[in-house]
Amino acid sequence: MDTATTDEQMVERALSGDPEAFGEIVRRWERRIFALAFGMLGREDDARDATQETFLAAFRNLRGFRGEAKVSSWLHRIAVNQCITRQRRSKVRNETALDDEAEKNAAVFISPVDVSPARAAESRQQSLAVRRAVGSLPPDLRQVVVMKEFEELTFQEISDVLDVPLSTVKSRLYTALRQLHMRLHKFGSEDLKTFEG
Amino acid sequence: MNQMKQRPVCHRAEDLVSYLYGEASPTDARDFAEHMEQCELCRTEFASFRHVHESVVVWRNQALGSVSIRPASPMKDEVASNYQFAPRQEKRSARAALREFFARSPLWLRGATAFATLLLLALALFAVSRMWTPAPQVATNNSEKIFTKAEFDKAVNNEVARINALEGAQNQANSNATNKSPIRTVALQKTARSQAARGLRPRLTPQEREQLAADLRLIPGREEDLPFVFSDEPEQ
Repeated sequence: MDTATTDEQMVERALSGDPEAFGEIVRRWERRIFALAFGMLGREDDARDATQETFLAAFRNLRGFRGEAKVSSWLHRIAVNQCITRQRRSKVRNETALDDEAEKNAAVFISPVDVSPARAAESRQQSLAVRRAVGSLPPDLRQVVVMKEFEELTFQEISDVLDVPLSTVKSRLYTALRQLHMRLHKFGSEDLKTFEG
Repeated sequence: MNQMKQRPVCHRAEDLVSYLYGEASPTDARDFAEHMEQCELCRTEFASFRHVHESVVVWRNQALGSVSIRPASPMKDEVASNYQFAPRQEKRSARAALREFFARSPLWLRGATAFATLLLLALALFAVSRMWTPAPQVATNNSEKIFTKAEFDKAVNNEVARINALEGAQNQANSNATNKSPIRTVALQKTARSQAARGLRPRLTPQEREQLAADLRLIPGREEDLPFVFSDEPEQ
């Protein structure tokens, strides 16, 4: 498929019955949507499900896409909503059990190849603390952090996706970074105590 | 958390964020860098946020790989480049990088890479084997020796002289033994004598010369393999 074709043209093609067009949109955006979902949810299996649901929802609502916003912003909004819905559902369920499982998954993720066991354990502790710190942020702060750190979107792009003013994006990110610093310090100390204990 | 809320906030907090992520204009970045030299709070927060950023990037790289989702925005100012975040690239071994490449590549790309590697190895082996093979020899034994025309003629003439001598001796023996046809013997003797007097030998047809040459192993059996073309007339 021609890479010079814009996402908006791809949507038009998909609407006119081209079966390959929506597949191309998925190929272009699945990695970034997965990164966003992973940052928001902190678990690979949840992130995969949310990514899949995002594209399914987009496909179902393709006719509802008016072209007023970019396809990327539209997909991000759907993805953020999917993640928030998933988190609400998971809160209703037993969160402790899921957290335990998530920690196991995190351990699988961060099993490095070429580092010593001590360094690997330290790295695992640090990543676990970061995951917990990001996961404990309020959704409006978390999504800004994830879009910035995981997707490397510009402030303007985040503003477009979330449909909030640019200054709001910056102030949310500033607040999020301050909270993360505090939480990392707190979780880091707790983990250190656990590790030593 | 209350502790965080109680911490003072500089009025340029938003500028700090823009500066950190390299999204301030060159003028704004320079201006904020000057401000940071005076503002201890901004300096402290910059260091804290940098640590947070690096921790999040480590987690992201471990979970998603160190490949950037999108290229980081370029640094906009020399001053800012001293402070702003640089995209973190973890140092990894070539083996780990290769493993990640194969893990992330689609099946066709893995297959194509493997095929290209095998092809390259085969070509390298072929080139090495060619280097070690001795050059082929044009003629490896005497049977394939190519004679010159002079050598050929000399050998044929020698053989003709030998046969003539043999035949002459045989004829003499026959005439002495039988002597039943004196007229024919006398005629043959006359012919031989006259030929000997003229220094001539019996003429051979081209076919006979060719057969003779083949018998002497001077030429290959087939005409197209001859080292030169026979003339219709025998040489005198």
